[in-house]
Amino acid sequence: MRYLASIIAVCCLVAGCATSRPVPVTQALSASAEEQMLWSRAQEEQDTINCSGVLYQDAEIENYLNQIAKKLHTNSISPDISFQIKVVKDPNLNAFAFPNGVIYIHTGILARMDNEAQLAALLAHEMVHCTHRHSMRALRSLKDRTQAKTATAQNLAQLLGISGSIASISGYTRELETEADRVGLDLAVKANYDPREVLKLFELLKQEIEIEGIEEPYFFGTHPNVRQRIENVNNWLAEKYRGKIAGIKNRDVFQSRISRLVLDNARLDLRQGRFLVAQRTVEKFLALKPDDARAYFLLGEIFRQRCRQDDAAAAIKYYEKSISLNPSFPEPHKAMGLIHYKDGEKRLAKKYFESCLLLSPDIADKAYIQGYLKLCVTNGEG
Amino acid sequence: MKKILTSLISLLLITGCASVAQERSLNNLPDNAFSVKIPEGWWKPKHIDKYLITKDGVFLQYVLIQQRPIDRPYRNTKKKLNKGMLPQEAAGVIIDEIASDRRIYNFNVIENAPAIIDGSKGFKILFTYKDKKGSAFKTLYYGFISGDSFYNLRYNAAIRHYFEKDITAFEQILSSFKVVKDAAALSIALDR
Repeated sequence: MRYLASIIAVCCLVAGCATSRPVPVTQALSASAEEQMLWSRAQEEQDTINCSGVLYQDAEIENYLNQIAKKLHTNSISPDISFQIKVVKDPNLNAFAFPNGVIYIHTGILARMDNEAQLAALLAHEMVHCTHRHSMRALRSLKDRTQAKTATAQNLAQLLGISGSIASISGYTRELETEADRVGLDLAVKANYDPREVLKLFELLKQEIEIEGIEEPYFFGTHPNVRQRIENVNNWLAEKYRGKIAGIKNRDVFQSRISRLVLDNARLDLRQGRFLVAQRTVEKFLALKPDDARAYFLLGEIFRQRCRQDDAAAAIKYYEKSISLNPSFPEPHKAMGLIHYKDGEKRLAKKYFESCLLLSPDIADKAYIQGYLKLCVTNGEG
Repeated sequence: MKKILTSLISLLLITGCASVAQERSLNNLPDNAFSVKIPEGWWKPKHIDKYLITKDGVFLQYVLIQQRPIDRPYRNTKKKLNKGMLPQEAAGVIIDEIASDRRIYNFNVIENAPAIIDGSKGFKILFTYKDKKGSAFKTLYYGFISGDSFYNLRYNAAIRHYFEKDITAFEQILSSFKVVKDAAALSIALDR
């Protein structure tokens, strides 16, 4: 652990002040032992992620993301990298790339996006980390600084393996992040996406970070800080892409493809107690699918669990809507039972608990519900 | 010379055993407003400042007992417990806290049901998970709200071999658990 901590400390030092040694990007990938080691380490970490149950399993969304990546990759400088995009069930705003072309995007950042052009901007940024071999450049820089102090080649190899993977998740130097923003924007424009959308993505994320008072995540991180990134993009738009603002956005296609993910991510936000973000996300989903019983139930859950004044009344309204849209959906019946039970309305509670058990005799909370029903009866309100 | 060597080895063995015996004791268990009977063979690791005991080492099994202020925030969820919560709702907060923990992989709730602990209405959650290295664990987590405190007793063990082996010991600990209302009586009631 101490060893790992020292490596992280070294990485931070390097990231803070080093200018990375350029790696010829035309050089064949996996050519050097160092790079092979890096890829091998990346593969190990991917194996851990892939087996951890955190992947969002939706082949349709994955295909869609991979199609966008393919479109962007047409103009990239490194056609021999094979990109693979995967989604992680995590409501936090993040995305990260491994040097071998595997990119992980959190459901949180996807759910906040408005259109395909914003997705393309994010993907292009991450792809540039791979095509421009940012891990390798970070490692070479690290190697330059630690070589003298490292006793054996094997130690160095371990150092490179560990730190390289860390860099891909926690961010690179200011210089490399700026390069990823600049080249990524170029890739998005070459694929005919509207370059202004990257600014909207930044603004969208900035707002949410302010609402939630959360730490800036990596994609939106401090290397360079968000204001600098927005300023950079504004400058590039004015200088390089003047007159090229009529690119595609593909809002409808994007939103219909990720609608299920949006609702699933709202559940993750609720789990973390981010009530306002969860509420906004469900409302966004309902704008697309206004007759979805699960979404109204989730809104009810947000209000019931937040427990502020008048929240119970709002929750009841949403549960009733959910039941009216899908009377055979057991969850809102259970939730209505709970609200009435806590409110002392045992007769109403009993009615809803019974209907819940009738709809789903093996519901996960069955033991609790049976207990409430017994008390409803013994209290003489049965 | 041989005698001196034998003496030295014996001394080393004796001091070694003594230090192990000293480490494997229930000394330094923090004082709390509860009492429990701890079965033979369980000990408190020196470096952990919680009410945590183990028999074979914390990576194989442990029992952790906590009394925490009800309004103390959790690390992974912004949800909080409150006095008016039903046990089912409190269990929901605990499940959300654990499920949101990034160090927990493959989290799976096997059972979530009401339970009585020291006469109070509470809950029990049985779940499995893996750590980053892929080691699989099973946890039995009991909790209840009493006054301004949330009490919880959890038994965590490696799924393979250890969970079943020591579940009876945990059940003994659980059935002996008592909240001590009178703080002055605490030192007398602590039955170690």
